[in-house]
Amino acid sequence: MDADSDVALDILITNVVCVFRTRCHLNLRKIALEGANVIYKRDVGKVLMKLRKPRITATIWSSGKVICTGATSEEEAKFGARRLARSLQKLGFQVIFTDFKVVNVLAVCNMPFEIRLPEFTKNNRPHASYAPELHPAVCYRIKTLRATLQIFSTGSITVTG
Amino acid sequence: TTWPNTDCFSEVAYSQSTGQKEQLSRCLQRGIRRVQDLCKVLQLPTVFEETAVSYFQRALQHPSFHLVSLEKKELLGGCCVFVTCRQHNWPLTMGTICSLLYAKQELFASVYLSLQKELGLSVPALSLGDLVKTHLNSFRLFQHAADVPAPFVEDKEKMVARTMQIVELASETWLVTGRHPVPIVTAAAFLSWQSLQPAARLTCTFTRFCKLAGVDLPPPAHLRLKELLEIFLRMASQLAWLRVFNMDKKTVVKHIGDLLQHRIFLLKNAFCLEDEEEHRAVALGEGSPRSPPAAGGTAQEEGCPSEGKRQREGGARPLLPPCLINPRKRLRTAAPSTSDSAITGNEPISDSEIEQYLRGPEEIRAFRKAKAW
Repeated sequence: MDADSDVALDILITNVVCVFRTRCHLNLRKIALEGANVIYKRDVGKVLMKLRKPRITATIWSSGKVICTGATSEEEAKFGARRLARSLQKLGFQVIFTDFKVVNVLAVCNMPFEIRLPEFTKNNRPHASYAPELHPAVCYRIKTLRATLQIFSTGSITVTG
Repeated sequence: TTWPNTDCFSEVAYSQSTGQKEQLSRCLQRGIRRVQDLCKVLQLPTVFEETAVSYFQRALQHPSFHLVSLEKKELLGGCCVFVTCRQHNWPLTMGTICSLLYAKQELFASVYLSLQKELGLSVPALSLGDLVKTHLNSFRLFQHAADVPAPFVEDKEKMVARTMQIVELASETWLVTGRHPVPIVTAAAFLSWQSLQPAARLTCTFTRFCKLAGVDLPPPAHLRLKELLEIFLRMASQLAWLRVFNMDKKTVVKHIGDLLQHRIFLLKNAFCLEDEEEHRAVALGEGSPRSPPAAGGTAQEEGCPSEGKRQREGGARPLLPPCLINPRKRLRTAAPSTSDSAITGNEPISDSEIEQYLRGPEEIRAFRKAKAW
């Protein structure tokens, strides 16, 4: 690829993970009984609740910690998290929406060229590590940004962090 | 009662009296012994043993490995040996270590990745050339045996040389990148063995070959074999004296020797290389063959333009990873609408929106009755 070629790359955010706290104890059994779209995982002590709009899945612990996954932007993640907190309020819990934080964003991008992974790894040590016996992609860590890239031979790159 | 004479018992810390000589904990001692035994079984040089033991000691001092289960500590020893071998370019595969430790590969993989991350170890990738030699060492086709028919016995040097050439060809044609190496080597070994005496060996199946050789047949090896044969068939279509014949997957094996001898020329002709196509397109004034890629990334976008393809004899295919040639169907995600992109996260929440996520009283009663909570 030429350095001066002007090719636009689409970076698509596929998942945003956020957390928040309700500052109150949550009765998981009550949520499982009175909430709709709910899965109660009694063995691990959590409840999964899914919202339709936005399409997110929340994992709820009795301590009041909630993790929301599935949003496609940080604003959408907050949008869904607030709706979830409101649902818990309607179920009768004294919910206070606090400590909201986006903890992980997953994005996908496609390069317009294939990548020879063994040569790429050799030229990018120690950031890059490649173990084809475990995973078909090269794992490239950027410590300063706390980001991890999975680079596939097809040119597809997944960024998490 | 008399009190015992306690003058002889002064307060001494355990580490100063007994513990001073106990430098290593029992767990660490056992682990070190296990690492040393593993090195002896694999017949590794002494320097490997010292390095593996030092990695193991460093790892056990790390908080992430203090409180792990004994099973994981055993695997940790195996991981240290594995990393040491890789750093010295000793061709040891994960499968070998897992079979020696009777471990599940998933658990071994998680311990290995943790070790690599916590100790910041740089582990070079496995050298395919060394793996070919080591893997073929375990084949039982190089000496006469009761269960191996005479025509099936082969000269080791010839087979290693031809297998290396086929593996190099696989590497050039995108069959190796991102894939597990052992199935490729097994498939290449089978093709090289068949091609060295095709008359007697063409009727032997891949499964029977692996059984006779005394090696496992990993599931992806059949797919790798199919991909290799497709590459050879494409190359055969460019060889002048083979064009008149109707080649198929059986008959092309007889000509693998010729195909490997002329592989650079045949690869150039049989497959459309991107650089050549760009030059041709620029010369014809067609402009850049690459359009801005969409997020999907299909073979059509990254390969030759269709005009370039038609111009070549025999319809040269672009040299791309197989997953781009035969892409799986991808679900199209809806493009974000303008209303979605205007979300701030602080919009007001209506009751009706929330009520869809709550059960009504009758529903709760019916649910309670059904679940008998």
